[in-house]
Amino acid sequence: MMKCPSNIIELMHNYLDEEISPQDELILRDHLHECAKCSQHFNDLKKTVAFIQHSSHLVPSDDFTAKVMARLPKEKKTIRLGR
Amino acid sequence: MEQLVKNRIKAIKKGDQNAYAEIVEIYKNKVYQLCYRMLGNRHEAEDVAQEAFIRAYINIHTYNPDMKFSSWLYRIATNLSIDRIRKKKPDFYLDAEVSGTDGLTMYSQLASTEASPEDTLESLELQEIVQKAILKLPEKYRSVIVLKYIEELSLQEISEILDLPVGTVKTRLHRGREALRKQLGHL
Repeated sequence: MMKCPSNIIELMHNYLDEEISPQDELILRDHLHECAKCSQHFNDLKKTVAFIQHSSHLVPSDDFTAKVMARLPKEKKTIRLGR
Repeated sequence: MEQLVKNRIKAIKKGDQNAYAEIVEIYKNKVYQLCYRMLGNRHEAEDVAQEAFIRAYINIHTYNPDMKFSSWLYRIATNLSIDRIRKKKPDFYLDAEVSGTDGLTMYSQLASTEASPEDTLESLELQEIVQKAILKLPEKYRSVIVLKYIEELSLQEISEILDLPVGTVKTRLHRGREALRKQLGHL
């Protein structure tokens, strides 16, 4: 059994943040190639990210803007008449 | 886009309330989405999102134009969502089954897509599992995950919105992802 680099999980996350140096990326790739456990961990992380990114986008009610406008403090509306 | 927003804000500061409707239209989906993912409940998300726009309007004179307007707005919405989470009674908090009713609403929305009912239901179940996993995250991780993956913002923008160093944002993102992996990675 080879030993996993102590910072390998951190490298995975740096990779996911697209903030990994070319040297570190090489270390990560080499290790994932050899280590099934870390490879699984990395795949699970990527899958998790994909699930969250693809969660459906809900939209607010049709009269959302009208409701906000109706709830704004009233007094400033008079200024509009002065334009 | 940013220029349009800047012009609208100038008009609002001069008292043109109608200009604000355009701002609300531009950002309502993003702000609502942010609140929904933080709170996991459509009704509360609608309420908190409206509140965020009203707060932004009332405090528009404190907005510093050096910051992106969207960042300022997201900051208000995130803080209000966190306030709301903290105010929730613990038993209500645990009762995340409210998302059951949300599911029905979501189902009627998804029903218009062309996927077969089985596929729709399957993805609906997955949607709920994902949302529940997000809701289980402590709020400091939840906000970072939502801003990164639902709002698709950069680490730099998230750092600006939450007023945290980029390094802290990264650490929270890493921990949030690990926590989610434990819940979702085996699916």
